[in-house]
Amino acid sequence: MTATTVPQPVRRGGLVQSFRKHTATWIAAAVCVFLTLMIGVAAGPTQFVNTLVTGGMWALMSVGLALIFGVMNIPHFAHGESFMIGAMVAYFVYTPLNALVQKHPNGVLIALVPFVSMAVATLAGALLGLLVDRLLFAPLRRRSREGWVMNAFLLTVGLSFVLVNGATLTIGPNFRGVPRYFDVPPLQFLGVRVTVDRVVAFAIAIVVIAILWVFLQRSNTGRAIRAVSQDESGAQMVGINLEGIQMLTFSLATATAALAGASLLFMFPAYPTVGLKPLYFSWYVVMLVGMGNVPGAIIGGFIVALLQTATQQFVGMAWEDVIPTALMIALLLVAPSGIFGSDVKGIQEQ
Amino acid sequence: MLEIKAVDAGYDFLQVLWDVSLNVEEREFVALVGPNGAGKTTTLRTVAGLLKPMSGSVIFGGKSIAGLKVHEITRMGIAYVSEGLNLFTNMTVYENLLLGAYASHDKKQRDDSLAYVFHLFPRMEERSKQLAGLMSGGERKMLAIGRGIMSNPRLLLVDEPSLGLAPYLAHEVFHALRALNEKGVTILLVEQNVHITLEITHRAYVLEQGRVALEGPSRDLKQNEYVRKAYMGI
Repeated sequence: MTATTVPQPVRRGGLVQSFRKHTATWIAAAVCVFLTLMIGVAAGPTQFVNTLVTGGMWALMSVGLALIFGVMNIPHFAHGESFMIGAMVAYFVYTPLNALVQKHPNGVLIALVPFVSMAVATLAGALLGLLVDRLLFAPLRRRSREGWVMNAFLLTVGLSFVLVNGATLTIGPNFRGVPRYFDVPPLQFLGVRVTVDRVVAFAIAIVVIAILWVFLQRSNTGRAIRAVSQDESGAQMVGINLEGIQMLTFSLATATAALAGASLLFMFPAYPTVGLKPLYFSWYVVMLVGMGNVPGAIIGGFIVALLQTATQQFVGMAWEDVIPTALMIALLLVAPSGIFGSDVKGIQEQ
Repeated sequence: MLEIKAVDAGYDFLQVLWDVSLNVEEREFVALVGPNGAGKTTTLRTVAGLLKPMSGSVIFGGKSIAGLKVHEITRMGIAYVSEGLNLFTNMTVYENLLLGAYASHDKKQRDDSLAYVFHLFPRMEERSKQLAGLMSGGERKMLAIGRGIMSNPRLLLVDEPSLGLAPYLAHEVFHALRALNEKGVTILLVEQNVHITLEITHRAYVLEQGRVALEGPSRDLKQNEYVRKAYMGI
């Protein structure tokens, strides 16, 4: 049994060919470079920092959304409420703890309190995800074979209503925010002043995304998560416990959204409908790059943030939501499967 | 080792298998042949747990496995290489093989299995960094079988490995299955190519319209007047 060597076809005009095949990707890349340059010229590095912080947050939200769609085929419209609950938990943990620590000032403790709050919020998110999967999606999965995507979608919309109104009923509609987590002077680098809160929020987003990425690529369990998103039957056939993976994925995604809400409490105060904007923007990201495409969602988060910054800079603050959305609609007309495409099973089957 | 007793199975209102009984002994190489729609794939799916039998029992290694979940059955030592292969097309060949050993936590066992798969299909080693979806049909079959071997199964169920393959590739696949069986893996093979199948297997069942029509040592079935006429065109 000798392996025959197959002559590889000679590749000509690699770039041209690549452009033909990935037109949308190339155009998106060109637009991004152009916008970055324009922003750099017109506004200087401060806006870069804003773009990075916002981008990190959209990426964190979108990765969860992409995972949930890819692995479980759920168009999750209650993802914003995970953000909201993260923010709420962080607020209710941070405020009393901080008051307590301020009585006996200690530098280390004061710096630790925000991180403790975020950790508690993340755990609360993980628990919420676990409960929602077990109590809502698991029973639905047993009952619904046809029309799963529609049923799951309606369930998440209902869940969103229940959580938002439940929060209004029990906690009230007031804004509960913190002016800042870290009461220290802003950092200076490259002539830009950045508050420590922003630096921390960005660092958390990047670190969490990096850990998630390595986990998905390198670990056995991460590989199993990707396997389920690519072929559910195949995954079961190699001995992967489907229910366990779905539970883990949903819990993980909810936890990252909650962490996003917690780490951005200084920007978005906690109130029942605070999750709407993060929800919409993470959906833009996921649709823009291709539903269920996880690495795409990371890049997409920054692309959407760039679009927002550019709109603020050149058109006006009020257009921030309008222009990125309009661009997205235009793009979907040209490239319906998003700029990076997707090979999630749900997309191919439906 | 595997005992299927009086199994009825099917899809919703369409019953495909009627009172099917068959057994596979340890280290045996058994074939399931028959025309399209006879229920060969349905039988394998029932054993693998993708389909619950309507009645009857499926016993593996002395334990009833009817109604267990697919991954539980896999972890008991049954690997299923489906006709559609169910590969993870957007992962590399290497990752697909690693996932084949997902349920086993024995690292040495995994490395041994990997070495064996590479020995059996040298092409898998050459292509180990390629995406599974970008491979040719024959290579994908080999990968699917290789992935099945990675779990170090006691029983391997293989569905139509020669379908859509050029004759020399089909030959290569059959050769590998034979080698695998000689190494001690029990195999239940579903195949349309009756000629080669009866050549390499120990025993065979002929399934027709969801019932076992004939059974016996492959050598005898090859001489059987009916089989020769209906399936080998002689």
